[in-house]
Formats: sequence, C-alpha cells, structure tokens
Amino acid sequence: MKWDKDDLKVYYKSKEYVDTVCIPLAPISYEKEEEAVKLSNQYQSLQLLSTELERNYVGRMMLSPLYTYKKDKNMEMEIKRMNQWIHDFQADFKHVFLLTFDVNWRKQEKDLDGQLIWLPGTSIEAQPTELTKKWIQEQISQISELIQSYWD
Amino acid sequence: MSEKKQQVSRRQFLNYTLTGVGGFMAASMLAPMVRFAIDPVLKASSASEMHAVVEVSEITKEPQRFDWTVEQVDAWYTSDVTHSAWVYKNEKDEIIPLSPVCKHLGCQVNWATNEPDEFYCPCHGGRYYKSGENVPNTPPNAPLDLYEFEVRDGTLFLGQPVPRQEV
Repeated sequence: MKWDKDDLKVYYKSKEYVDTVCIPLAPISYEKEEEAVKLSNQYQSLQLLSTELERNYVGRMMLSPLYTYKKDKNMEMEIKRMNQWIHDFQADFKHVFLLTFDVNWRKQEKDLDGQLIWLPGTSIEAQPTELTKKWIQEQISQISELIQSYWD
Repeated sequence: MSEKKQQVSRRQFLNYTLTGVGGFMAASMLAPMVRFAIDPVLKASSASEMHAVVEVSEITKEPQRFDWTVEQVDAWYTSDVTHSAWVYKNEKDEIIPLSPVCKHLGCQVNWATNEPDEFYCPCHGGRYYKSGENVPNTPPNAPLDLYEFEVRDGTLFLGQPVPRQEV
C-alpha cells in the first residue's frame, strides 16, 4: 500500500493485516555536480525499487513517502530524528524497515531502532533496459527474503 | 368553406416552426455536451488492449512468471507499470494465464515456494491450487483472476485480468 487515497481506504479497512512499514531514505546535496548527479540517480533507483517491493507485498506493507535529508550533515541529529519516526510508526506497525543506498546509516546501524536494509550503491540508467529490470528483480528477491525472515 | 380548408392555422404554423427551429438549436447545443459527458464510457473499451507477453513455445506445464511493462498515463504524469502473470499449459494443452494478485489483499503470489504444486502468498499465508482455485480455510475467498488472452503468430497476448466465481 502506498500513501495514496485509494490505498489508504483499503488500509483503514484491513489494518490488522498490515504490520509492516517501509521508509526509503534518500540524501540530497547540491554542493558538487558529480555528487548531486550520483545522488539523484540513487534517488530514482530507490523509487523504482521501493515501488516494485510494494507491488509484491501490497497487502502487508505500507510504503511510506520517501524521506529526504541533507547529505553528511549532522548524522547524529538525523539518527535521533529517525528514531523518533520509528517510535511513532511502531504504534501502528510491528516491523519498520528503512531502505537506503546511503552508507552513513549503515555505519551507525546499531543506534537505529528499525531494521536497516542497506543496498550497496549502484547507479542505473535513466531508461530502464533489460539489464536494469534483471538487476531490480535480483535486488527485490534478496530484499524479499530478508523481509520474510523477519515475518516468520 | 375556406375556413374548413385552412387546416393549419397561422398560430399552429408558427408554433410548429418555432418548436422545430428551437429543437434543432437545442439539439446542436446538447449533442457535444452529451458526447463530452459519456466520453469516459467510450474510452474504457480501449483499456482492454492486449500486450505481447511471451512466445507460446516457451510455455511449459510448470507455471512460469512473465513480466511486462505498460505505459500508464494519469493526467499529466506518465509512469511505467509492471504487470505479471503465471502462465502454464494444463493436461489438455490449454494455456492458463493466472493473475499473481492475491485475492485477499493484493500481494503477489509465488509458485511452489511453500507447498509443492500450489501458489502461495507470503503476506498472510494464502494458498491456491494449480488451477488458481483458493484452498479453503486460508485467507483468500476467491480464485486467482484469469487474464483475457489471445495467441497471434505464436505469441501469447494478455489483456485484462477477469475475476472468477467464488469456490
């Protein structure tokens, strides 16, 4: 389910079946062109991945809107804020997954109160090709396996 | 005598002409409005487009998952939407294209991941037999939808998923 008026209607009708929320985390920076391009590419990949993931688990997973923050600025504050989000979400969802390409979260994973799914940064082409599709499928099946292991 | 011959009075004649002209004017105004109002109904028929999915020769007795992408336009926003189908041939060599969308809450079902020869939904443990019929006493209460399909020049084309009767 997504943050979308039709999906939300279904969500409130069948709330007891939706026990998982997934929050994609994407950093933003305009300082250097090269980095900005890389980050925007990861942002798009993350959107592709998370929508595909949501499609697989419509009935049990709520896909939260993408969470954006300034790259490398005060990670401690970000962790603190993220933990607040997680605690708020935990009132409604048993499992909170964070999906990101940003290695900074990975470095401080132990301080996070949700399950971090860190994907090693890969950039994909803007135009989805056969190879991209394969890559997405591959990533999805691995993430799925991980998520299902928490569900059991 | 002349009174009797005059079957259409001046008043009647004017009435008829005015109604006629008025009616024509009303119709010419209403016709485009009606057309505009029922436009979505007329457009819906083009939604049942068929999409090439796979060569028929690739379809086996064992269900396989095939994906295809459709460009969807919502107002000003165009997005690529992926659709999937589980396709196999049954004993009578008929093609069975099943929708992978679980009838419980819409997750994607997988083939033979939990029980052999059954579709399984990882979200809430819904199960379906190979035919797509739901296993009783599991969350789903209807069989998996069947796609409209067509075979053209050895290629399988799929349309819209069609719901089936409850078991």
